[in-house]
Amino acid sequence: MWPLKWKKREQEYRRERADFFQAVGRLDRRSFMKIAGTAGALAAAQSILPPHSFQLVDVVEAQTAEKPLFRFAYISDTHLYERTLNERFVKATLRAVQDINALDPQPDFVLFGGDLAQLGQPAELELGKEILREVKAPIKMMVGEHDWFLDMGERWREHFGQPQYSFDHKGIHFITLMSVNEKDFWTERKMTPMERMLTVAGLDNSLQSRFEVGDEGRAWLRRDLAKVPRTTPVVIFSHSPLYKYYEPWNFWTADADQVQAMLFPFRSVTVIHGHTHQMLTHRIRNIHFHGMLSTAWPWPYAPEGLPKLTVQMDRADPFDEADGTGDGTIDVYRGGYVDKNHNLWSRNPLTVSRAYLESWGRTNVPPAPEFKSY
Amino acid sequence: MKTRFQKLKIFLIAVSLGSMILALAHDGSAVGQKFKPDLPPAIPADLWELLIPKDNPMTEAKVALGRDLYFDKRLSVDDTVSCATCHDPKTAFAQPTSVAEGVGGKKGARNSPTVLNAMFNVEQFWDGRAKSLEEQAKGPLINPIEMAMPSHEAVVAKVKKIPEYAKRFQAVFARPVNIDDLARAIAAFERTQLSGDSAFDRFNAGDRGALSEEAQRGFELFKGKGRCVTCHEFNASSPFFTDFKYHNIGIGMKASGNFEQLARQVQQMAQAGKLDADALDKLSLTEGFSELGRFLVTRQPKDVGAFKTPTLRDIELTAPYMHDGSMKTLRETIEFYNKGGEGNPNLDGGIRKLDLTEQEISDIEAYLKSLTSERVRRLTQGSSQFSVFSFQSSAVRKYSSVFQE
Amino acid sequence: MINKSYKLVTLAAFALAAFMFSFSDRTGQAISPGAVSAVAQQNQPRHPEAKSDSGNLVVQLCDGKTSMEIDGVREGEVLTPEKAREVAAKMMAAVAAEQSRQTSKWTERDRLTWEREQKRVIEEGDKLFHDWKALGGTIGISCDMCHPNASNTHAETYPKFQTQIKKVVSIREMINWCIENPMEGKPLPLDDPRLIAVEAYMAAQRKGVPLDPGKH
Repeated sequence: MWPLKWKKREQEYRRERADFFQAVGRLDRRSFMKIAGTAGALAAAQSILPPHSFQLVDVVEAQTAEKPLFRFAYISDTHLYERTLNERFVKATLRAVQDINALDPQPDFVLFGGDLAQLGQPAELELGKEILREVKAPIKMMVGEHDWFLDMGERWREHFGQPQYSFDHKGIHFITLMSVNEKDFWTERKMTPMERMLTVAGLDNSLQSRFEVGDEGRAWLRRDLAKVPRTTPVVIFSHSPLYKYYEPWNFWTADADQVQAMLFPFRSVTVIHGHTHQMLTHRIRNIHFHGMLSTAWPWPYAPEGLPKLTVQMDRADPFDEADGTGDGTIDVYRGGYVDKNHNLWSRNPLTVSRAYLESWGRTNVPPAPEFKSY
Repeated sequence: MKTRFQKLKIFLIAVSLGSMILALAHDGSAVGQKFKPDLPPAIPADLWELLIPKDNPMTEAKVALGRDLYFDKRLSVDDTVSCATCHDPKTAFAQPTSVAEGVGGKKGARNSPTVLNAMFNVEQFWDGRAKSLEEQAKGPLINPIEMAMPSHEAVVAKVKKIPEYAKRFQAVFARPVNIDDLARAIAAFERTQLSGDSAFDRFNAGDRGALSEEAQRGFELFKGKGRCVTCHEFNASSPFFTDFKYHNIGIGMKASGNFEQLARQVQQMAQAGKLDADALDKLSLTEGFSELGRFLVTRQPKDVGAFKTPTLRDIELTAPYMHDGSMKTLRETIEFYNKGGEGNPNLDGGIRKLDLTEQEISDIEAYLKSLTSERVRRLTQGSSQFSVFSFQSSAVRKYSSVFQE
Repeated sequence: MINKSYKLVTLAAFALAAFMFSFSDRTGQAISPGAVSAVAQQNQPRHPEAKSDSGNLVVQLCDGKTSMEIDGVREGEVLTPEKAREVAAKMMAAVAAEQSRQTSKWTERDRLTWEREQKRVIEEGDKLFHDWKALGGTIGISCDMCHPNASNTHAETYPKFQTQIKKVVSIREMINWCIENPMEGKPLPLDDPRLIAVEAYMAAQRKGVPLDPGKH
């Protein structure tokens, strides 16, 4: 009796799942909304839930002193698998797109923080591209190691262009760095491209090299910075944190010191990085560093090397797939420094303000979690 | 018979008056014999003690007063609605309509939660807008679609006019009737309404025969594949089948209108300082706003559409289900979870498809039906409503017939 | 005590039988010690090879400790069967004598076995920890994706109240919970070798951290 029923139920489950992925495949506006689960409620053109716009009300009320020059938003570390394998990460990415699209007013642009794909496979990158196409605001793409090491960025470049570029926006100079280069560890070991990819995709193996901007990248950066007046605020997008946090997990940029040295002469520098999947805050001299949340899953804090100014996010509850994940916005102020708004999906949103960093953590201290990692 | 009962009555009055006088000598603020609970086996005695507020100690006379207030329709504007109207012992202290119905048949927006074990809730109401049973009790009295009294002052004036109450308030609290004491008495009564003597409790205490095989399989699914236990927490220290937290599972997200606009309105009200307890109470029973759930209280985006995890004890007797009473049967409810709730952007990250088979759904249903208290079941089957009380208080027996319909 | 000495006798008898067998094997004639060590290399743990400074033949037992220099026979020369038997008897007697003096019944060899088996299971656990398919996951999520180096698993805090399960559980039950929930697989029997291996890996990663059951 019940094996039959069981079978029926399983078939139904598989069919629903197949439908879901098919809908992702035909990603027109209508099916997008449908799979995002809001079709009914969205009969009225406005969206159900604009988390940031709620937050916006509070922020604007609270900070009468200075209005931001502009705001941009981010989505980062989506780690999409092929669509037949993992529905959860797809849904999380859709949720982020929906969050960002609901922002009112819309952000000036959206940074994608890297690691669009989990294993750099063509189908993964294409799925990501399809979903990101739904973002209403202009999007700035950054590459992560998960996008790169299967074919050394060939597909990614076809889809999104060069991984290293700069642009100016409202008086701020923005630079997107390719900071996940690694010295060749694969040729000698006779690794296949997938073996190389899987090695880079893991944190806790000692096989891979450390990340670096590399000689060419630094030369490019030097040329780019040469054109920028030192009084112009600089904002750097880098997938890898541009400092040395924890080497065994490659939360690390081997040539970070050299890159920082190029940035010290500027009056204000902000680095927004991905890769670490956690709330991270750091300051070295004139450089403020902010980590981005992942939509896919949170990494634990490393056992040592955590920057002192970091306000930890609460320990995530694995029962809640969204806990410890999210997206966010960044308010850029005239001086160039930013307020970083972490939109943690299952927690209250939290802002790490520029005042907190400017005072070396003495004022505007964000609330700390009760249960820190250990 | 009659004379014997009357004799007993006189004796009991004498006894209770005597004990009141004795107690008066010790403590003027809380008058009366200390209440000794006869707790159901599953309820931890220390926790029960711990959750009795310092400013509202339990006495037998107070419980009896609260009990009578609880059943007294005169607390409503047109003498038609009592606490028991929506939290009826005959339906396990809940109401079999989808949403609560107050004076003149006016409909609220939320299903009546049970009073059983409500004292253990961290916060009261589906959205947790009241911190205590005392605070909770004051809300419905003046909500226009519940008991609809114009104000708390009006409630006090009305109760004062009933000589029996005036006397008993004086005896219990050693001061005239006031709204806080009225709420205290009702809350004290509610703290005697407990559930913890179900077949599952016997099973859990070692009686393996207390549950059918089906229900036993259901319990395993409840803890495992069904992912139930994480929100409907059960263990010996917290045997209430709730985590007392708030989750969006999608109920009401489909039917309701524009959440963004509603939420903004709430935000604006709060910023203008217009969102006091009364306004919040009214808003929570207003269609549309009601569906914002916990957001009304915290005004945090993650709480939009989130409602408190309800207990599962006596669940068989408290249909319909969910905060809006939109589910008629347990099976329908389990099916809802099985398909992963109702998708919406704020869906709790713990809700997902479960892939339960028909048999497994039946097993969980059987398990849920094993959570019904024997005493509560007897109560709903028409035996005297007093058999549910977990005490044999002389004072209660004495007053039990005073305000009976 | 009786039991212990019985085991020792058994061990000695077994070793002797194996030794004799290897001599009579193959040609039935004299056999070079090199052949013995070749067999040893295949089936036995490796020991440092004993050598004599004087260039005499050294015969070594598979315990890795007992060896004997044979006067008058150069390294590379073969022993006659009679001589070999004599050497074997002497060496086994030496082993028996040595064993009778020991206060522990556990030998270096036992320790080696324990360590190697532990290591083997830890390595197996390490592999499983990084392989979602091997643990029955269905959505591409492996343990290390949330717990690099088994961080945030805190093997030293179990058994403890686990908030997802709402009761005090062993670490294996929690691993099973992760298999069933984030990894969307089916839970394994609690004595499944895979669970034990993952537990061994997690515990090894926390080696030296004070035991603190119940810590959150």
